[in-house]
Amino acid sequence: MRIFLQLVLVLCLVVGTNSFAEPEAMKVLERMGIAAKQLNYEGVFAYQTGQNLQSIRIIHRADEQGETERLVSLNGAAREVIRTNDLVTCIFPEGKRVNVNRRPLGRGFPSDLLRRLGSATPYYEVVKGKQGRVADRLVGELIIKPVDSYRYGFRLWVDKESDLLLKSELLAEDGHVLETFAFSTVEMDKTIPDSLLQSQISSGTEMTWNRTEPESAANMAATHLLPRWHIAWLPEGFSLVAQQNRIKAKNGATVEQRVYSDGLSSVSVFIEKIRARHSHLHGGSKMGAVNAFGTILSAHFVTVVGEVPAKTVEKIGASISPADGTQR
Amino acid sequence: MTANQNEILSALVDGELQGKELDRALQFLDDNEQAKAQLQRYQFASDVLHGNAYENSQVNLLERLSTALDDELTYTTKIAPKQKAQVISLPQQFWKQAAGLAMAASVGALAVVGVISQPQSQVLPIMSTAAVEAPVQTLAVTAGGNRWTVEESEIADRLNTYLVDHNEYAGASGVFSYARVVSYDTGQ
Repeated sequence: MRIFLQLVLVLCLVVGTNSFAEPEAMKVLERMGIAAKQLNYEGVFAYQTGQNLQSIRIIHRADEQGETERLVSLNGAAREVIRTNDLVTCIFPEGKRVNVNRRPLGRGFPSDLLRRLGSATPYYEVVKGKQGRVADRLVGELIIKPVDSYRYGFRLWVDKESDLLLKSELLAEDGHVLETFAFSTVEMDKTIPDSLLQSQISSGTEMTWNRTEPESAANMAATHLLPRWHIAWLPEGFSLVAQQNRIKAKNGATVEQRVYSDGLSSVSVFIEKIRARHSHLHGGSKMGAVNAFGTILSAHFVTVVGEVPAKTVEKIGASISPADGTQR
Repeated sequence: MTANQNEILSALVDGELQGKELDRALQFLDDNEQAKAQLQRYQFASDVLHGNAYENSQVNLLERLSTALDDELTYTTKIAPKQKAQVISLPQQFWKQAAGLAMAASVGALAVVGVISQPQSQVLPIMSTAAVEAPVQTLAVTAGGNRWTVEESEIADRLNTYLVDHNEYAGASGVFSYARVVSYDTGQ
């Protein structure tokens, strides 16, 4: 009897740390990741957070050249984001500003859910929900619940025919919807002409151009930035999935980025040398469902950013210290 | 605050200190609240003189700058505006490179801020123990929306830059993640 009770206890512990994921639901999630990269589509979706609602046009083309995508805000200033295989260009007409970031590693769209899904399984319950309709198309619902309060949950509605994600909700611990993305119209498998992927900035517009470049691996090694910082706490299941250094063209500042993910949620830690003339976030801030926490350590701006709860970025930020033990 | 101390702060704002001078300035800042406030005023003045935009900020910088000038008349002559921006004709090759087919070739001139620097040439010496008391952001906690809950546009700009880089690794909502960038409400 005693052995049986011990076995039950062990099973409870195992169940407690390994959440449930329906195999069929995981397959849908995998197919969704593939569809997002391989389909041509054009549509309009709504983005709602809090009291704010924004309509955005999205055009995505995938061909032998790789992926190209353009998003345009349909309300207010016509802000645009254009993504190609190796660049992200953000155009802010109201500020007459263009930011150009070269993609890390030049490997195309790195929102590669597929590659990381396996590691997410223990930390989320993934089940299929009801069928429904989004943008006049039949969808299947996926419900993703986290095992703890350090990450958000999701409800995803995936197109039955194409597996494209048509609606997404980000959920707080109490089930409150923090953010909603939902297509109102979408067309798939159509030919996307070049003209739809070009910026509509009017001819002759003067813009301020800001550009960042990734630092080469050789220079990263030379500057010895990466070993200098220690992150003592991360939510269970989070591990380093990417790291890069960028050089800001504006002032030559080096910004180190480390990305930690559990497979579905992710946070980035940014470490930037202070250039002696700037203000910085001290404490928490948020924009929609994205939280940030900033502090200053050893003459560096340290900032944690992610679509995770505020307490997660705060706890991660508070656990960061220079590897040599020096602190302000 | 002596004239010499003001000069040190001015040089610090202009990024002209290095090595031991920089260490001493940072130590001075660490120990002196008045110096921290003075440095913040210098930074505002420098940013305005250098043309860094604050038009979207709720803070009336001109008023604050005016106050700072009243308090300390000398620094306006000590902060020489640096040549930080060049206006050049838009290199159409750049646009083709920058966004390939994605960018219209008809886009006009650009004001290019800064230059692409060599990675190792412009970084400050590593300050292992020095603590820089950069101006600290006072949070303006508001209801959730399409902008960062911060007061200074400079900080919001930095967070936006980080957000763009972070979006590369967005999670389950990856298809939509850049909506946060194009929806950003600058009307603070």
